[in-house]
Amino acid sequence: MLEFPYNTDCDLLGKFKIDTEYDIVTVRQVIRQYAKDMGMGIVDQTRITTAVSELFRNMYNYAGGGEVLIERGEVESHNALIVTCMDQGPGIENLELAMSDGFTSGQGMGYGLPGTKRLVDRFEIQSVLNEGTTVRIMKWK
Amino acid sequence: MSELLNVQNAKERIDRIEDILASVAAGDLDARIQSDIEDDFSGIEAAIDLLINDLTEELRQREKMQKDLENKLSKIQDQQKTILQQQEDLLELSSPVSKVWDNILILPVIGTLDSQRTQVMMENLLQKIVETGCTISILDITGVPTVDTQVANHLLKTVTAARLLGAECIISGISPAIAQTIVHLGIDLSVIRTKATLQDAMIFAMKQSKRADEMRTLSNIALTNENVD
Repeated sequence: MLEFPYNTDCDLLGKFKIDTEYDIVTVRQVIRQYAKDMGMGIVDQTRITTAVSELFRNMYNYAGGGEVLIERGEVESHNALIVTCMDQGPGIENLELAMSDGFTSGQGMGYGLPGTKRLVDRFEIQSVLNEGTTVRIMKWK
Repeated sequence: MSELLNVQNAKERIDRIEDILASVAAGDLDARIQSDIEDDFSGIEAAIDLLINDLTEELRQREKMQKDLENKLSKIQDQQKTILQQQEDLLELSSPVSKVWDNILILPVIGTLDSQRTQVMMENLLQKIVETGCTISILDITGVPTVDTQVANHLLKTVTAARLLGAECIISGISPAIAQTIVHLGIDLSVIRTKATLQDAMIFAMKQSKRADEMRTLSNIALTNENVD
C-alpha cells in the first residue's frame, strides 16, 4: 500500500465503499460538499469532483469496486483535501502507458488517469499486478 | 411379591416416560409425564417435565424470531421492488424528448449520466428523430453537475448516432467550471457543436432550420423553372 511520505496531521473525514454506479454519485457528492466546506470555489469543486469521479469509475469498471478515504490536512503548508482510492483489482500492467493521453485498456476514452492528474495539485499512484491499485490525489485550498 | 409388583410398576413408569419423550420428539409439545405417584421416579419425571417446558419455551421463541425475520425480509424485498420500479420510472421520466419547433427537438438532461441512463436517453432521442423527421436536436446539460470522461464519451456517441440518422446535435448548458474541467481532462469535444445557453442553441437551431427551408424553396423554384423551360 501507498505510504504517506509527509509529516502531516490529517483528519479523517470519511471512509466509503464503491460497489455500484450509484455509490460513485453519492460519494462524489460528499466530496463536493467537503470541498465547498473548505472554501474552494466552484471551479475547484468541479475539478476535484470530476477527478474523483474518474478514479471511482476506474475502480468500478476495472476492479469491481474499492474503498475511498477522505482526509483533510496540512501538506507542505497547503490546506489540502486528500482522497485515497484503494482497490484489490488486477492492477495496472504498464503505469507509464496508463498515464499517457489516449490510451485505454477498456472501452473508455483514455483520458481518465492523465486527465485526473491535470485536475489536481498532487497525484500519486501505486499498482501491483494481481494485487490492486492505490491512487491518492490532493487539492490545495 | 411386592418386589415383583414394583418391577412391573417401574416398567410401566419407564414406558410412560419413553412414550412422552417420543411424542415430544414427534412435535407434541403439550405432552407431560405429570405422575401423581411419589417415589424414587418422581424426581426424574419432574426433571424431564421441566426440560420439556424449557425446550417448548425455546422453540416458541425461535419460531417467533423466525417469523419476525421473515416479515422483515419480505418488507425489505417489497421496498427493494419499489426502489427498482422507481428507478425504472425515473429512467423513463428523466429523458423526455420534445419537439419544440418545426424541425427542432430538445432533450434536457438533469442529474447524473450513468451508462444505463445514457442508453435510454440515446434510444429515446434516436427514436424521436426517426418519428418526427427533425434534423436538429439540442441536448441541454445545464442540469448535469459533473462531466467526466465517461459522460463526455456518452455524449460523443449520442451525437455521432444522431448524425448517422441525419440529425445535427447541439449541446448547450456547459457551465464555465465544466468547460475548464473538460479542457484539463484533455477531452476533445470540438467535433460537437456547442452553445453556452439553451437560448443560444435555440436561436442557432432556428436559423439553421430557416436556412434549410429557404434552400428547399430555392431548389423547388429552380426545379419548377427547369420544368417550365
